[in-house]
Amino acid sequence: MNAVLAVKQYVSKMIEDSGPGMKVLLMDRETSEILQKEVYLFERLDSANREAMKHLKAICFLRPTKENVELLIQELRRPKYSIYFIYFSNVISKSDVKSLAEADEQEVVAEVQEFYGDYIAVNPHVFSLNLLGCCQGRSWDPAQLSRTTQGLTALLLSLKKCPMIRYQLSSESAKRLAECVKQVITKEYELFDFRRTEVPPLLLILDRSDDAITPLLNQWTYQAMVHELLGINNNRIDLSRVPGISKDLREVVLSAENDEFYANNMYLNFAEIGSNIKNLMEDFQRRKPKEQQKLESIADMKAFVENYPQFKKMSGTVSKHVTVVGELSRLVGERNLLEVSEVEQELACQNDHSSALQNVRRLLQNPKVTEFDAARLVMLYALHYERHSSNSLPGLMTDLRNRGVPEKYRKLVSAVVEYGGKRVRGSDLFSPKDAVAITKQFLKGLKGVENVYTQHQPLLQETLDQLIKGKLKDSQYPYLGPNTLRDRPQDIIVFIIGGATYEEALTVYNLNRTNPGVRIVLGGTTIHNTKSFLEEVTASGFRGRSTESSHVAPRSSSRR
Amino acid sequence: MAAGCAAPFGEPAEVREGFLCPLCLKDLQAFHQLRSHYEEEHSGEDRDVRGQLRNLVQKAKRAKRKLLKREGDDRTDSGSQERYESFSYGGVDPYMWEPQEVGAMRSHLSDFKKHRAARIDHYVVEVNKLIIRLEKLTSFDRANTESAKIRAIEKSVVPWVSDQDVPFCPDCGNKFNIRNRRHHCRLCGSIMCKKCMELVSLPLASKLTSASKEALGSHTSPNSSPNSVHGSRRSSISSISSVSSVLDEKDDDRIRCCRHCKDTLLKREQQIDEKEYTPEIVKLYEKLRLCMEKVDQKAPEYIRMAESLNAGETTYNLEHANDLRVEIQKVYEFIDALSKKILSLGLHEDPQPHPKTLQLQRMIRYSATLFVQEKLLGLMSLPTKDQYEELKKRRLHMVALETRGKQDEKQKDFVSRSAAAVNGDATHLKKGTVRKSEGWLPTSSISRESEIADPLLQQIDNITSFIKQAKAANRIDEVHMLQENLRQLQDEYDQQQTLKAIELSKRQAEEEEMQREELQVLREKEWEREHHKFMSQHSRTCSLDFREVKQHEHEVAKENWNLTAHALDLDITQIKGDPSFETPAVEQLPANEHLIFTLKPQNVPQRDKDQDQTACLNPFEDEADTPQSEEDPANPFAKDTSPMVSFSNTALQSDKKEYNPFENEEEDEQTNGAPGSNSNPFEEDENPFQKPGGSWNSGNPFEERSSTNPFEVEDGNEISGEEAIEEELLLQQIDNIKAYIFDAKHSGRMDEVEVLTENLKELKRTLAKQKEKSNC
Repeated sequence: MNAVLAVKQYVSKMIEDSGPGMKVLLMDRETSEILQKEVYLFERLDSANREAMKHLKAICFLRPTKENVELLIQELRRPKYSIYFIYFSNVISKSDVKSLAEADEQEVVAEVQEFYGDYIAVNPHVFSLNLLGCCQGRSWDPAQLSRTTQGLTALLLSLKKCPMIRYQLSSESAKRLAECVKQVITKEYELFDFRRTEVPPLLLILDRSDDAITPLLNQWTYQAMVHELLGINNNRIDLSRVPGISKDLREVVLSAENDEFYANNMYLNFAEIGSNIKNLMEDFQRRKPKEQQKLESIADMKAFVENYPQFKKMSGTVSKHVTVVGELSRLVGERNLLEVSEVEQELACQNDHSSALQNVRRLLQNPKVTEFDAARLVMLYALHYERHSSNSLPGLMTDLRNRGVPEKYRKLVSAVVEYGGKRVRGSDLFSPKDAVAITKQFLKGLKGVENVYTQHQPLLQETLDQLIKGKLKDSQYPYLGPNTLRDRPQDIIVFIIGGATYEEALTVYNLNRTNPGVRIVLGGTTIHNTKSFLEEVTASGFRGRSTESSHVAPRSSSRR
Repeated sequence: MAAGCAAPFGEPAEVREGFLCPLCLKDLQAFHQLRSHYEEEHSGEDRDVRGQLRNLVQKAKRAKRKLLKREGDDRTDSGSQERYESFSYGGVDPYMWEPQEVGAMRSHLSDFKKHRAARIDHYVVEVNKLIIRLEKLTSFDRANTESAKIRAIEKSVVPWVSDQDVPFCPDCGNKFNIRNRRHHCRLCGSIMCKKCMELVSLPLASKLTSASKEALGSHTSPNSSPNSVHGSRRSSISSISSVSSVLDEKDDDRIRCCRHCKDTLLKREQQIDEKEYTPEIVKLYEKLRLCMEKVDQKAPEYIRMAESLNAGETTYNLEHANDLRVEIQKVYEFIDALSKKILSLGLHEDPQPHPKTLQLQRMIRYSATLFVQEKLLGLMSLPTKDQYEELKKRRLHMVALETRGKQDEKQKDFVSRSAAAVNGDATHLKKGTVRKSEGWLPTSSISRESEIADPLLQQIDNITSFIKQAKAANRIDEVHMLQENLRQLQDEYDQQQTLKAIELSKRQAEEEEMQREELQVLREKEWEREHHKFMSQHSRTCSLDFREVKQHEHEVAKENWNLTAHALDLDITQIKGDPSFETPAVEQLPANEHLIFTLKPQNVPQRDKDQDQTACLNPFEDEADTPQSEEDPANPFAKDTSPMVSFSNTALQSDKKEYNPFENEEEDEQTNGAPGSNSNPFEEDENPFQKPGGSWNSGNPFEERSSTNPFEVEDGNEISGEEAIEEELLLQQIDNIKAYIFDAKHSGRMDEVEVLTENLKELKRTLAKQKEKSNC
């Protein structure tokens, strides 16, 4: 069930298969980079200026797209390398194989295989397809649907799972995707013929529009926070805008694979990271000559001696995380995020309208709160109190305008409501909140206080929790096909159309940690932060109305 | 900063902890109190709730539900309140999920091969057909055959397409007429116009045909054929043999063919060329991989040996280990040389190789460098023969010493003070603990070098083994000492960076001055033994004049002085506990210096011996032939204080000896009677001190490493960085080889000396070249 490992194993198998000798790895735009033994060059298949190097073996890892097949045919006609090992990251058609074979007049191809690494493994339990704007309105963009189907089936194949499928009934696109996946499984039944497990795996397909709150919240755990405030793109963070950044830290890589500190801290909250960074620095300083007095025991020394070669690497890690956390810290202060987040959490988790409204108003007056955060607060308010009897959205919108928040943000408020408002939601995102508040207080008495800034739990938490307990309602999340799961599920793959978030990744991580015998993998068309989520909303065709007053009249008539 | 971000969650707005009653929020002290409170206060309110509360902890979820109902929430229970339920961590971190098999895969190879085979068959048949025809066309002497006859032969090879059937050129579509005449392909018989016609030269033809016959030896060079192929038609017109035909230009030495046949033939030619041609890089690379494999095989074996030997065990033979070491070193050199060669392939050619070729070369060099760095660091040094003897003795000795756990206090005090004084040089102290028995002999006092890697690492390596030994022997005080050493080692690493620049500039002047000072003092001593105590102090103060040294120095001098006033046996233990006095003198010697050894270092080993070997009463005898050992060739730690310290050592030593070492020296000088080299050793000594700049660079591989990274290629300055490293590596290499040469000489392996000298010369040449290059 480990997505990262699945891809890694594919790659090492490729390199193993090609035997000894110098190699070049040919990739396309999407298959990501890997450095391995004796692989000395990485080339893009579509790069124009590749030199013929007959002494190299080529390992091609490509998506089986039309363009790639065409490029490969050209390549084989005039081969630039001695031998080609071709791996497609998904199912390739027989006719494409034939065209390739006919192009290989010089017999340079030594291998043609399908290795199903057609997705981006973010964490062991998280994958993404890096697709933005997968829907038009409420229905799929056909190209994106087929890409998503490919990605999702590739994941299933790489994990060797042939799942039963459930989907969110309220979402048309969820049903559509479920059907497409089922279709592929039926068509490629030979491929999906895996060893049967006692309890069959389960694929649950959800729609982002059911929970538009989660991607709008500021985050306080490391990975999520970095993505929210700085943006993670293929494990890379762009720090070039950080004031006074040194040249070699302009772009840093945060990968749990080679960064132990990150691996250990990605799910911890900001406070914990802060103290861990401090420890890391002390640790580092202890290794540094200045502060030797702490090397008292032989074990200390031994550690130093053993760690010495890592000295350089360690100092890299230290400066990287110090920079990142420092920048986060700066942004938190500059944007007044603690206060903003507190109100966000109140908007997301509590049902006290007047207090919420008061707090939002207060923050809208605060000059330190950015336009973006101001708009975000109003969005949260609009989503939560969409149909509240004393809804004061028009007033807030006026406040936004008076504050000089640009039109594009103001329009997004209505767009977000259109995207994930009450009308489209299949689940109760806010309704149980009164109850939650009480329960929370009740349970606080039992197990202590939770963090004000991380009280929000995504809807996914509840959905999965019910699923694990076998209580997820068939009426809301029906099975595709006649068969249903009688036992509690063990291996679960959740896929969110419209993108998952790192908060949800954390939720799934915790569920994995706390539920013995259950393994959950989370995927999404992409991994969102607020910015990319709003882009997604816009790209899906929800542009919002420019005039604030038109839609905001509370529709109390429709209340239950 | 860390503190700043550590406290964002310091005070959440309002926090209530403990056992709060869920209904009235009354704060209660404990669970049982809560329960009793609940039963008392709220018992009437809802039986369900009360019932559930009894099992509060286990069934929190259900309790919640009931509570919700009780609160009058009209919504039906969605069962969504379970998130706080599971706090038993029974699950598994996704990182820890059990290993999984490789994902599904499907091979299309057989399908692919099937399709390809069909295609290839067709292609092969096509090619073979053409080759056979080509052979027929060239099997007779074209130059001396009449054109009519040639034509007859040509027509017999392949039936020509009838002229009437082809009114237009099939390739370009132009109409044939009296000016645009038809031409026949001699290989397939088809018709084309003159413009579309291609020619196959005889050399190409013979190459193709002979290759098919597997007679590869007779083919022309690959370069010649393209030229002849592309020879212009005009030149063939003017050739002598073309006069014979008026209507149709005759190409005696060429065979006309259509574009398609020509294409097929050229492809074939390319294949033939590739089959034979192995680029230089591949040959080098294959050698490189072989070497790496060899290292992978031998290195573990050596490390096992070295560890055992360094521990004073007798499992392995020192000679063997030395041989193996030299062998591995050679392989490393070879790897280095090979990868360097790969890196520079084609660099001097015009036009420059494709950027990707260069990148490939850089990558190979980079991975080889990484390989060498990684493996070489693990390659610990060996003790010299005498050291080894010493180690063996020491091993026994230490067991005997176990009981002597005394004078810890004093020792420690002494250590810390001296450590502060000696500053960075003390980093090498722990070496002293190991090379107790540096022998010395006035005439052959040459330091022996066997260091290779970063000295700091080597030191650390050594330290660990010493700690192991010390631990094994339960020598707690020594362990403490070693810890101290390690700290200083770290100190050194830090200071080294900042001081380097300053020191380099100061150094030369200082040393000169220093030498003179020392010389004088020594001479004085020779005459006035009884004043030596005073003088040691004097020399201290003098040395303080021309360097801004820490105040401790003075203190230490005094300390030494005081201590030396104690009985000899006291000294022995003290100094034994403080190796910092032993090594600096040894360490200060730059690599090149070993050839011109002087009085000063001679004293030191002697003192070492005295201190450490209580048993050994006359160290001069059994150590006479032992060379100075284990010099760091490029020791960056040999800093400003070292000469002075060594001097103070000599002074100190003279203090505590019962006999006078200077007498000995004097004697030696006299007996050797080679005034040029011996009578005034300090003059010569100056040279090495002027050099340290050269060996300096190679000391710190960690700094270089960052710039080695070929991934940062785009920057352009990358190349220069690479070059800088070359130079440093070279210097290091040279130092190493010098050490090996000496080593070999010393143990009488003359053949090796020769080989190594050769190597050395080569390296020096390369270095010179490199410098030239970087200068211009």
